[in-house]
Amino acid sequence: MSKAPAARVSYADRLADRLGAGSVTGLLLKLLFLGVVNGLSLYAVLTLLPMREWTPLVVVVLATVAIDWVYLSSRRIPLKFLIPGTIALLIFQVYPVLYTGYIGLTNYGTGNVLNEQQAIDRIIADSITVPDDAIRYQSTPLVDDADELALLLTDPEGEIFLGTGDGLTTLEEGDIVGEGADRRILDTYRPLTLREVGDREAEVLAFAVPIDAEDVEELAVDTEADAISVQTFNTAAVAIQRLEHDAATGEIVDLVDGTVYTAIEGTFTAEDGSTLRPGFREFIGFSNFERVLTSPAIRGPFMRVFLWTFAFAVLSVITTFVLGLALALALNDPRLKLRRTTRSLLIIPYALPSFMTALIWRGLMNTSFGPINEVLGVDIPWLTSQAFAGALPKASVLLVNLWLGFGYMFLITTGALQAMPEEVKEAARVDGASGWQILRRITLPLLLVAVGPLLIASFAFNFNNFNTVFLLTGGGPPIQGTLTPAGHTDILISFSSRLAFAGGRGQDFGLAAAISTIIFFLVAIFSYIGFKRTKVLEEIN
Amino acid sequence: MAVDPLAQAAERSTFDAASFKQSDTGPKGLRWWREVGWRYIVGALGIAFALMPVYFVALASVSPTATLQGAQLVPRAVTLDNYRELFDSTPFFTWLWNSIKIAGGAAVANMFLSAMAAYAFARLRFAGRRPGLLTILLVQMFPQLLANVAIFLFLVNVSNYFPFMGFGTQLGLFLVYLGGALGTNTWLMKGFFDTVPKELDESALVDGATHGQIFLRIILPLSLPILVVAGLLSFIFLFNEFILASILLGQADDNQTLATGLFRFIDQNYGQQWGPFAGGALIGSLPTLLLFLFLQRYIVSGLTAGGVKG
Repeated sequence: MSKAPAARVSYADRLADRLGAGSVTGLLLKLLFLGVVNGLSLYAVLTLLPMREWTPLVVVVLATVAIDWVYLSSRRIPLKFLIPGTIALLIFQVYPVLYTGYIGLTNYGTGNVLNEQQAIDRIIADSITVPDDAIRYQSTPLVDDADELALLLTDPEGEIFLGTGDGLTTLEEGDIVGEGADRRILDTYRPLTLREVGDREAEVLAFAVPIDAEDVEELAVDTEADAISVQTFNTAAVAIQRLEHDAATGEIVDLVDGTVYTAIEGTFTAEDGSTLRPGFREFIGFSNFERVLTSPAIRGPFMRVFLWTFAFAVLSVITTFVLGLALALALNDPRLKLRRTTRSLLIIPYALPSFMTALIWRGLMNTSFGPINEVLGVDIPWLTSQAFAGALPKASVLLVNLWLGFGYMFLITTGALQAMPEEVKEAARVDGASGWQILRRITLPLLLVAVGPLLIASFAFNFNNFNTVFLLTGGGPPIQGTLTPAGHTDILISFSSRLAFAGGRGQDFGLAAAISTIIFFLVAIFSYIGFKRTKVLEEIN
Repeated sequence: MAVDPLAQAAERSTFDAASFKQSDTGPKGLRWWREVGWRYIVGALGIAFALMPVYFVALASVSPTATLQGAQLVPRAVTLDNYRELFDSTPFFTWLWNSIKIAGGAAVANMFLSAMAAYAFARLRFAGRRPGLLTILLVQMFPQLLANVAIFLFLVNVSNYFPFMGFGTQLGLFLVYLGGALGTNTWLMKGFFDTVPKELDESALVDGATHGQIFLRIILPLSLPILVVAGLLSFIFLFNEFILASILLGQADDNQTLATGLFRFIDQNYGQQWGPFAGGALIGSLPTLLLFLFLQRYIVSGLTAGGVKG
């Protein structure tokens, strides 16, 4: 681009310059990008606004303002490069980690999914019952012009009422015009068609008309009635509400026998210990962590799983490293032929998708039909033996993980060996060192310095190696006699995700998140020690 | 690397004792065995260990029985029935395509986001640069799969507002994968960008180029090898990712990735579908296997760049 005199610079160029774009094309691209971002966020705001979801709304607006502020400036260059990745990092990595910490402090899980108001509404609604002597009505579901449901009610004496979500109105002759399906009531209501009833089944059956004291008198109902609730598509009955929520004290009171239910850790509980379901999710402090450390049902399995996780991670690193190193030392000799082919073949286990190979090994190690037993002519329960605290399945998992990981270790140690200066070894040889001495005193120390950080990373990876454990054994075989399901080969991450997602026993998100939080801290401690020792942090420049 | 390693491997798949002896002018006889010969035996054992399961799977995929039972070391008959059964009874290629689409898309996006951040860390000087680098390193210590409960509940929440990107959608999973964009790869790339001579962008700056142009026209083209490695490692990682995919994709069969789909296929009555599964495993392994073999040299340098100086 030749430099034009200042006066000749076009308006577009000046605009491009002020908005921090180098050229008109750059400016157009930038405007296109910002247009898309702002358009999407406008759509998001218009979706969230009617729902009154303020938190996500604020997040969307802040993110958009931040993006516009950064990119519509000719300065703030570092931020231009950092902001896209940072936003992704904040939303999908940092926020979930913090949210995990929060969930760990709650009782979130099966039976405690709703928030407090939703739970109270559900409990009160469930307590509405129809007494045996209640007045029953013939009813027809109606709908008004605004699509709101209502009921046309006929009592045993033939009197006709209109019941809406607001209350009850007595109808006079003349309020109803027409016959059958063509009826029109008060000029706004019409009967639902059969198809509409089918479509809105749940809504119709849950419909109730609230009634007040005045209505009760007029209807001459004996019981203390609260609502006329739909029983079937064409009947309704006066119902009473047995429980009442006292907004002042936050308690739920049984109107019939006077029992008071107080909310304790997300569950309304009476003095005699009886509870109302569902509970609600609530902040319960460190209870989940206390359970992990003190409850006999969890502590036992947790400790075993915890120790095995350590053993698994450490042994995996050691076995893969030793085998990989041995192969690298043996094959890193310039006199060998086919070195590249050998290397390609040896890294095949590492190059295959690990989920696939874990599943393959599961088949190979099958007790009754697996090819390994078949070929050897034996019946070894590789993955299912309960003996010696599952020693055999544990060994099998380690073997499979060795198979999966030695190729990686072979690659990085080969790389490190080839990068090692030959002169040092040469000097040692001249000084009369034997091959073994050179290996012990020179090659290995240099190698460990080079691959040390990768070994730490490998440890951290195996500490959470969900794929191998879950796909190979599913954590099994199960440890006998534990109240919390745990297996002999379970590591912490597979143990905690079973608590969160396994069906059957219900989902305990709170406890699972608490265990995840514990893993976070453990990993943080190892990493800190590891980085401290390898001095990675000091080299940042 | 002009020679095709696969062809090379096929060509010389057996160790031919005669071929190593003739060309050597080095040690002979017993001394040859002590210094060189044993290395071949170690290599052969290593290869046998590495390839044994692969051999069984290849065998099972062409065997006439679909079940796990009756494995033989040498096939008695070869058929493609298992493959036919796999394609008939599962949406196998939909799964494969889903995996390639989600993992590939996220890998490319992650690579780009990561490269942008790495450029800022390598070339620009600003307040918070060192803390920023440290933060990335620390956040990386906490893998996303540990936060699986939170991510699941978060996406369920998102479904209430934006069902097209919430729980049970591939877009949702893709976006979750973007969360890992800044991480080890950023460090890897920053290290590489540091080695590109600064004089190049300085002269471009003098000529009036913006940082955006320097990044796109100078740094990225010069850093192609590291971009390939970072993108590839990220693709392989995401292609393998199981836990988040299994939690977030819901139950629809057509929505699964290869990992979750094949797992569901084989998990119900294990052993009955062994043959078709073996076929799926072989085909499904090809993408990463081929990428690995063809880009082997780049990958080795990329893997070791983190720890090895040299």
